[in-house]
Amino acid sequence: MLHLSGRGQAHTCDGISRRDFLQVGTLGAIGLSLPDLLAAQAQGAVAKDHDEKSVIMIFNLGAPSQLDTFDMKPDAPVEIRGPFKPIDTNVPGIQISEILPLHAKHADKFSLVRSCYHTGAAVHDTGHQMMQTGRLFTGGINTPHVGCALAFLRGRKSDLPAHVVLPEPMGPTGGNLPHGQDAGFLGKAHDPFALMADPSQENFKVPDLLPPPEIGEVRLARRRKLRSIVEETVNNFEASDNARLLDSNFEAAFRMMTSEQARAAFDLSKEPTAVRERYGMNRFGQCCLLSRRLIEAGVRFVTVNTFLTVFNEITWDIHGSNPFTSIEGMKNIVAPMYDQAYSALLEDLHQRGMLANTLVCNLAEFGRTPRVNPAGGRDHWPQCWTIYFAGGGVQGGRVVGRSDPIGGVPAERPIDPSEVVATIYRSLGLDLETQLPGPQGRPFPLVDSGKHEIHELF
Amino acid sequence: MTAQSRWMSCATLVALALVVPPLGAQETARLLPEQFTLTGPEARQTLVLESFSGERANGQLADGVAYSSSDPAVVTIEDGVAIPLANGTSTITATSGDRSASTAVTVTAMDQPFAWSFRNHVESVLSKASCNTGACHGALAGKKGFKLSLGAFDPQSDYFYITRQARARRVVLSDPGRSLVLTKPTGAVPHKGGLRFRTDSYEYRVLSEWIAAGAHGPQDDDPRLERLEILPGATVLAAGAKQQLIVRAHFTDGHSEDVTRWARFTSSNESVAQVDDLGLVSVSGHGEAAIKAWYLSQNVMATLSVGYEHDVDPALFANAPNSNFIDELVLAKLRDLNIPPSPPASDAEFLRRAYLDTIGLLPTVDETRAFLADSSTDKRDRLIDDLLGRPEFVDYWSYKWSDLLLVNSEKLQPAAMWSYHQWIRNRVAANTPWDEFARQIVTATGSTLENGAANFFVLHQDPPDVAETVSVAFLGMSINCAKCHNHPLEKWTNDQYYGMANLFARVRSKEASDAGNRVVYAVTSGEWVQPRTGKPQPPCPLDGQPLAFDAEADRRGPLADWLTSPENPYFSRAITNRVWANFFGVGLVEAVDDLRLTNPPSNAELFAAATDYLVEHHYDLKALMRVILQSATYARSSKPLETNVEDTRFYSRYYPRRMMAEVLLDALSQVSGANTEFKDYAPGTRAIQLPDVSVDSYFLKTFGRPVRGITCECERTAQPSMVQVLHISNGDTVNQKLSAKGNRIEQMLAADFANARMIEEAYLAALCRFPTGAERARLSAALDEAAAGDRREAIEDLYWSILSSKEFLFNH
Repeated sequence: MLHLSGRGQAHTCDGISRRDFLQVGTLGAIGLSLPDLLAAQAQGAVAKDHDEKSVIMIFNLGAPSQLDTFDMKPDAPVEIRGPFKPIDTNVPGIQISEILPLHAKHADKFSLVRSCYHTGAAVHDTGHQMMQTGRLFTGGINTPHVGCALAFLRGRKSDLPAHVVLPEPMGPTGGNLPHGQDAGFLGKAHDPFALMADPSQENFKVPDLLPPPEIGEVRLARRRKLRSIVEETVNNFEASDNARLLDSNFEAAFRMMTSEQARAAFDLSKEPTAVRERYGMNRFGQCCLLSRRLIEAGVRFVTVNTFLTVFNEITWDIHGSNPFTSIEGMKNIVAPMYDQAYSALLEDLHQRGMLANTLVCNLAEFGRTPRVNPAGGRDHWPQCWTIYFAGGGVQGGRVVGRSDPIGGVPAERPIDPSEVVATIYRSLGLDLETQLPGPQGRPFPLVDSGKHEIHELF
Repeated sequence: MTAQSRWMSCATLVALALVVPPLGAQETARLLPEQFTLTGPEARQTLVLESFSGERANGQLADGVAYSSSDPAVVTIEDGVAIPLANGTSTITATSGDRSASTAVTVTAMDQPFAWSFRNHVESVLSKASCNTGACHGALAGKKGFKLSLGAFDPQSDYFYITRQARARRVVLSDPGRSLVLTKPTGAVPHKGGLRFRTDSYEYRVLSEWIAAGAHGPQDDDPRLERLEILPGATVLAAGAKQQLIVRAHFTDGHSEDVTRWARFTSSNESVAQVDDLGLVSVSGHGEAAIKAWYLSQNVMATLSVGYEHDVDPALFANAPNSNFIDELVLAKLRDLNIPPSPPASDAEFLRRAYLDTIGLLPTVDETRAFLADSSTDKRDRLIDDLLGRPEFVDYWSYKWSDLLLVNSEKLQPAAMWSYHQWIRNRVAANTPWDEFARQIVTATGSTLENGAANFFVLHQDPPDVAETVSVAFLGMSINCAKCHNHPLEKWTNDQYYGMANLFARVRSKEASDAGNRVVYAVTSGEWVQPRTGKPQPPCPLDGQPLAFDAEADRRGPLADWLTSPENPYFSRAITNRVWANFFGVGLVEAVDDLRLTNPPSNAELFAAATDYLVEHHYDLKALMRVILQSATYARSSKPLETNVEDTRFYSRYYPRRMMAEVLLDALSQVSGANTEFKDYAPGTRAIQLPDVSVDSYFLKTFGRPVRGITCECERTAQPSMVQVLHISNGDTVNQKLSAKGNRIEQMLAADFANARMIEEAYLAALCRFPTGAERARLSAALDEAAAGDRREAIEDLYWSILSSKEFLFNH
């Protein structure tokens, strides 16, 4: 379905851009059906050579301590270096924490950036905004998540949505600010599809993906027909963003419902038990496995939220006291789960030959205080932390940037969130100067001008 | 570059100005500021020649402006900036084409010794250069060992950091040029923060002269900033226009200064207008934007209105229906912005909307038939009175206030949760005035089972938490920022925050013998310490009067007096906005929890009038609801015109929105005739009657029910999503209701209605209107295709198609 909004811009359910629309729009917008548009898209609105590139963004909500994971400072005093020891990896010269032994076997596949920082307030939410959209929200303008910008520019390439969030969007993390996990000014029609279920649960299925068994094909067809009559005579909702969104949601939902390929992608029972167990029979592990299946089936971008909140859950947010997590909780619960799932994902993508075309980026909203606090934990620290990348053209076994002797500030090659986002766009083959249509038609480049990808990774 | 020419850049930047054409009123020009004093040799004043239509500024006249001073020995003008030369008075005249205006200037203190003030000048330089922002040295931990208070809220500490730390290398009295506060920001030595200003800058001159004069610290008798003024305060501009703003600071010693140079500017709506570092606004879109100027912990706002360039007949505004003051003020705003109102809604649309917004329920088929058949002229007024008196009114509004007050059995024992909920219900049923309602909450004492309101102090015990929650719930504003530093977007200071918190330092609660019961009481001693000073902050309701430390009466009494006083603008605005947003979907201030100086209402006159109305009616919420429901604005069609489709804030039409989760579930139950059963609740209990949010419901969760964890309207979401669509289409909620035994479909089949009648009943039940002829015909034809044995399924599918339609899911 195609809708012309009051601004004279075209929106399609599939997020085909204005430029694409203009190409097909000259044929006459009226009467143009969805298949027509898809055909137009197939005929070249999408550059084929980039179409195989995908991204899995693992967002480590809560924010891991750089000093206890990827940026160890064994020579620093104990109140800085913390309780853990570094271990060697399979790349000479690169050491990481003993709590991530399986990561150590794959250091040749990923590269660390040890000098990431941001300058916003030290609350989770601002970091989420910046790391997922490249910008801090100001002036009432919410910028889009990288995956949503991609969905807007490229549209879907299968019956599955272009961008899927597993298992759910981020919940409250204390700041009551937006997390930068939706399409922002691009409009809700480009929001990701959120699974809203835990794939590690027995009998996991996408909620409500299929009609009840008693609704056969005949009734399904009748329902659609009746609904089109009911909807047709009422068009005064078209102007409402939410109403237009509902239309596009219906269209997208119907495609998923009726697509065998889409349904199969979510069906984890098709995986051998050994594979499922290799990833770990927990929410994060099964989300990582599902992300691989979705990419295989044609999803362009999968965001995996390692955790959903920092309250009353064992997470990376190791303040040391309730309702947050202790350093032991991280060592005994978070790290083993995380280590197992990530190493499984890399191995799996590698063995299937998918890694070259799939960027796996592991991000977080900030780092943690170099000095251990009185509760034995570490607090928020946006001045410096470590993120890492694998696949999608990124060369493994590298370390970019360096922190000072206590992991407190970048000592070399500081990297800010816009450069992280630029790196993802570049891996996808997008031109960083591509303009997105901002509020009231104000053009927004993908990243602020002068910002570039972390070229040392490629 | 000389210091003077740096000053001039403000004015010379204005190259282009578009003036909004007159709207009938007399066009005049004024030279801003219209009267001012230059105090001392360093005083400067940027001048702006502004066009006015009546009392409203409508664009800067910047084209070839010529200035003259009546006494050039007293004041001279260089590039639009007035510069003092000697004590005396002068009249400055500015001329642009055939328009000119004058302003009177007094010059004083030219014969007094002059010194830069740490508090008012040095701190201004550090603020404008962004040295003390959160990203730089204003961070809690400072930066690279150098800390400043955020936004210069603590000059004493800043003076200490600058002159005493780092072995006093930051300030070198014997050789000011070697001071780190000069060598760092100018890049003479490496500076992580980059180049902040140059050695030939005005900033450099202020700092270096201050050091050379002895680097004196803040003095107790320094003049303090009293208030800021921004000129022009409200302007109607055209797209493409530019407008220079002037910020003036008025100090406690009576003198004032042009601080445009030092103010930090931001735009609330960058898609309408952008503002640069020197206060020059560029208009790029249509609608309204507010420009915030921040200077030394205070904020001041200028509003800009940019009318749409539609071809609209002015008579449209004059002839639009106009029932009361709401319509008057909405139409005035629409006229300013040149946005035409949509025509009135039909009876059927009004009926459905008024039911949903007032009692959270759809009208029954019989009620709809009766209302549509009624031909009397006062039927809408009678409907409104009826709705305000219905028992379902109590269900709906109790639910809303239970959201606000976090009635929650996760955090309260069941008996206490019920007591809290019942307390709210009783107040809603009695239509307790809102000031009394709030007073009873914030002063609550006694058993939580006998006085449900006391549970507020079980949910919130830590004094800062109580202060923050009272502020959000009853003032609609977040004061949380002021916990660590002065609020950057409000007037609230760090001290005011702790003064507010200390009001609750003596509230205690203890376990009682019976389950779930606690007793809340106030003791006569105990203080909450302001961590910055290490001392208790005098207890004080935000901007109210401080209480004596040794006063033994419960401090919450004076708090309640201040809170609910008609003179307290925040209290009445907050509730007015909450009620308004319920009926219009969009608050006069958005979001409803975000009332703040720097977040102006979309229609300030209307907001003030609606608030006054509520206060005049003694906080009777039903009185406010009635006047809203009776307005022509509320009764406008939701169908947009081509020329008002972009309006989302000025009420040119009713804005459709998805029904809230609980109301939608109840509507599905009512239309299908099959209730949703809630575990542990009596059959027939509606979702809106649930006391808390503990009932597990995939439907309610998916459609955005809040968790009642924190007081914030943001907990609830109304956005449609694909997950909701999947659930409506395929999920068990709608499908089970449609196939349920004894439901409406079964009753219709038993009555042996023909398809046409089936369609009519379904439309009346779900959409509250008769189907059109075309709908009836086409749907009948589609149903007629169904096999005879398939009739029930076909009717179920008819209901499915209606219940999944936008017209049903939306309140419109």
